[in-house]
Amino acid sequence: MFIDINVHPDFYADINLDKTKETLRHNRLNIHHNGLASLNHISNQMNCASIDRMVLMANDCSSTDKTVLVSNEEIKKLIDLGEKKFLGFASVDPNSDNYLQQLEFAFSNLKLSGLVLYPARQYFFPNEEKVADIYQLCIAYNKPIMFQCGLNWEPNALSKYVHPLHFEEVAIKYPTLKLCISGFGWPWVRETAMLLLKYPNIYSDTSVLYFDSAREFYSQIFTKDIPYTWIDRSLRHQVMFGSNNPRFEQIRMAKALSNLGYRDSTVELIKGQNALDFLGISNTGEKSVC
Amino acid sequence: MFVDQIELETKKYVDFYIITKEIEKIVSKSQIKNGVVTVITKHTTTAITVNEALECLQSDIEIFLSNLVREDSSYSHARMLRNYGSTAGNPTGHIKSLLIGNHCHFILVNGQIIKGDAQDVFFCEFDGPSKRTVMVSIEEK
Repeated sequence: MFIDINVHPDFYADINLDKTKETLRHNRLNIHHNGLASLNHISNQMNCASIDRMVLMANDCSSTDKTVLVSNEEIKKLIDLGEKKFLGFASVDPNSDNYLQQLEFAFSNLKLSGLVLYPARQYFFPNEEKVADIYQLCIAYNKPIMFQCGLNWEPNALSKYVHPLHFEEVAIKYPTLKLCISGFGWPWVRETAMLLLKYPNIYSDTSVLYFDSAREFYSQIFTKDIPYTWIDRSLRHQVMFGSNNPRFEQIRMAKALSNLGYRDSTVELIKGQNALDFLGISNTGEKSVC
Repeated sequence: MFVDQIELETKKYVDFYIITKEIEKIVSKSQIKNGVVTVITKHTTTAITVNEALECLQSDIEIFLSNLVREDSSYSHARMLRNYGSTAGNPTGHIKSLLIGNHCHFILVNGQIIKGDAQDVFFCEFDGPSKRTVMVSIEEK
């Protein structure tokens, strides 16, 4: 099973019935000229990239956006429409009211599979005490957290909040909490590799493509900035395929992953098994017991 | 002048769609008997061409173009585009589009498109899957 762990459905037609909201999403994400995507088109894209499942991210930075960009309910709607193609991660803003109740509702009622946090846009450091209750709730529900890390192209996003070293205390304090530093925390990829090496509860994904083609950039990051042996030998169980689509296109990223020179078994882990482990799902689709 | 459009939702990265019948329907709808038909794509990573609708030829054209415009070459277009907010990954699509061209013309006589028996109109997708639009105009002469 090939899973894209990091997809943003902001421009899926089924949740863009309001033109004002669509325009807001273009402006907030700083993604333009891309149009809306029908679920049929999404399915065609997945087929071209040989992707079986995608994990869709909600987006709640309401303390600064003044509105929820993609709600947990919209993610649930897409999951229901997606004929088992989609899983979903909830989003809550730690600076808003009732975030804990919203998260509990997303886990218990909407049955979402994890939580996504955007520290660069929600303006908090991951090791701050004020988010401890969020981590504890995720542990209670056995849900992983996707931290959107590294360079964030969105307006007013601040990179200082997502330096990988901020996650070390979290990994130590909450060893049963599975967390993902997205995009290998680019440009701090060696710092991220250091954390993955020491802490088995930290994962990362491949959702980064800020220079060159996917083939060239993946080769630079995953075979040179991080020697290919580091992932292929030591980190192979903690790296997942993620695209950050629609910022980046999946088809060429998926192909680039297969051409890095890793062992076939490593590529298979990155494509699917590691995401299943992160999500706490066995290969048969059952929720695993941790 | 009569103007209409053909909408396509392409399914593959590179693909060919025969759109002759759709063009003929638009010509019929126009009720124009004599003039010039123009078929033009709205996109820069697609093309319009006229050729024979044979699977073997489509395959030859696709392989010829992929050998000529290689995916693993180095392209200046492979970079972050600020006005899109995303990374351009489709230089090969632009170059293939440049090579094939974005339109074709036919002469219209007594309501019939004048074309050879082997001629069909191809919409060429070079950066799919995507939602595409082809414009068709009929200018009365």
